[in-house]
Amino acid sequence: MAGTETKEAPAKTRTEILISGFGGQGVIRMGQILGLCAINQGHRVTMLKSHGTETRGGYVRAQLVISPEYVDSPVVENADVFVAFSAPAYKRFHELCRGKILYDPEMVEEVRSDVPGRHVEVPATALAKERLGNVLFANMIMLGALTRLAGMDFEAMKRAMLAVIPRFHEENLKALDLGYQLDAVARRA
Amino acid sequence: MAIIQTGVSEKLVAPWAEWAERYREGRRLLEAGTYALTEGAIAAGCRVFAGYPITPATDIAEYMSKRLPQVGGYYMQAEDELAGMHMCAGASLGGLKAMTATSGPGYTLMHDAYGWAITNEIPLVVVDAMRVGPISGITGAPGQGEFYVARYCSHGGNIETIVLSPNSVQESFWLTIDAFNLAERFRTVVTILTDQVISDMFEDLFLPRDYAELGGIVVPRRHNLTMPFYPLNSDAIDVPPNIVGKGTGICVSAYTHTEEGYDIEAMEAQWAQTYRLVNKIRHHREEILRYEAVGLEDAEVIAVAYGAASRTVKTGVLEARRRGVKAGFLRLISLWPFADELFERDARYLVCELNYDGQLVREVMRAAPDKRKVHFMGKSGELHTVAEVATALEGVARRGSIPELPYIWTEVR
Repeated sequence: MAGTETKEAPAKTRTEILISGFGGQGVIRMGQILGLCAINQGHRVTMLKSHGTETRGGYVRAQLVISPEYVDSPVVENADVFVAFSAPAYKRFHELCRGKILYDPEMVEEVRSDVPGRHVEVPATALAKERLGNVLFANMIMLGALTRLAGMDFEAMKRAMLAVIPRFHEENLKALDLGYQLDAVARRA
Repeated sequence: MAIIQTGVSEKLVAPWAEWAERYREGRRLLEAGTYALTEGAIAAGCRVFAGYPITPATDIAEYMSKRLPQVGGYYMQAEDELAGMHMCAGASLGGLKAMTATSGPGYTLMHDAYGWAITNEIPLVVVDAMRVGPISGITGAPGQGEFYVARYCSHGGNIETIVLSPNSVQESFWLTIDAFNLAERFRTVVTILTDQVISDMFEDLFLPRDYAELGGIVVPRRHNLTMPFYPLNSDAIDVPPNIVGKGTGICVSAYTHTEEGYDIEAMEAQWAQTYRLVNKIRHHREEILRYEAVGLEDAEVIAVAYGAASRTVKTGVLEARRRGVKAGFLRLISLWPFADELFERDARYLVCELNYDGQLVREVMRAAPDKRKVHFMGKSGELHTVAEVATALEGVARRGSIPELPYIWTEVR
């Protein structure tokens, strides 16, 4: 009795989002924009960030909790959405997620086959290279996809992005749009 | 008082419970605890920061280096923590509110400056963003290892200290203003004991529109230019802080001193000085006591925590109540002077801390009616999970003991 109740109790008021990858991929930035967007829409937000000491290449994780009420525990124990930007991140955290898992196939080559309906392939890195000429924009492509899948307000997300990121607004808007318009994402939204 | 979803009473005893109601116009941001702490200091009128960077307090120095010049203040990167705190003490003696920030490895270097500032009644705020130890430990992991170090922050005894601990980004803002107020009113060093989670975490933060409008809650710096500089044998608070360099003739010494501050080797002066340093704080405990309580009325087991640990512990208490356990929650915000009066109930206590050695639990054992009913739940380097806390509360309430859980320590003796 105890186990299931613990897992289900927080779901009533809180949405848990887990984003993880390598340092330099913009994991924390993505969380900041997502969090600010939720705040601007009147929600309470916490975001724990954990990372290694490296500027680039180390492991990074952002744990977001979004709720209409004050969030007591900021720890993601049962993610509603999990964004995997690296294979180690996928391996380490996919079992924490009971909702949709967005993954970048260039980074995460193998995913669990027993829950195909929950996995959404977002080729963010490949698209960023092909369409925008720089992998740096992969995180915004992923955020565009997440916005659509989570049913969040796209215009509000764009405004939050513009408020958080100081430069390359045009490219970042294009990246958000690329992710938001992806066929694979539109079908699942 | 507010009622939360489970229908239990929730109580916050802290000045900002009222401040937050008074100031409703402003901005809502997603920011880190370090940012909120910096803004709280600026809002409180802090105009000098001197310190040495260390994870997870570095961002405070970085924000300060940007913010202080904007408000006519001064930022100094010191050669080490000891120098940083001494510079802050000097600035405060010169008439400006000052703050420094560090983490455990830097905090231990400040003890000499601590003793000097406390003995000479210099208002200061020191932030210790605790990370897990021992020594340098892990930079990006939270710890609660300086509970006693913050109390015994100087050698030689004969002092009392004021230590506050926030548990959210928003509270980091209000509590920092409060810390500056207490430093001014008590003419002493107030320590803010935060931790890696609360300082690094991003959270929604409300900042009031214009800090100039906070005049009603900020205690301004006053200047004492006349004798007595050190009111010996007195427990008076709200005595204006001393200023040097204005022809006052005051002396600032590390030795036992006279009312003017000059060294003296006389037991009468020793007793009079100690009386003041200890009792100006002990005799005004009610001015310092800050805590949060949930559902204590009917609680058979009370979970006790502070800082980051309290976040998951509170959710664990609510979860335990859903499982039918009569659980309560007590979060200490003022850690020192220790709030003995909150532990008078003959209940079971479950003390949750981010260390394996057990620190806060020892004070609870001392203050509670029956120390055999005080249980310890220590975790090292990461927060307790909600499930762990709820399971432990269930065990304590139903069987009088904590069930075996991985990476949880329960031994104190």
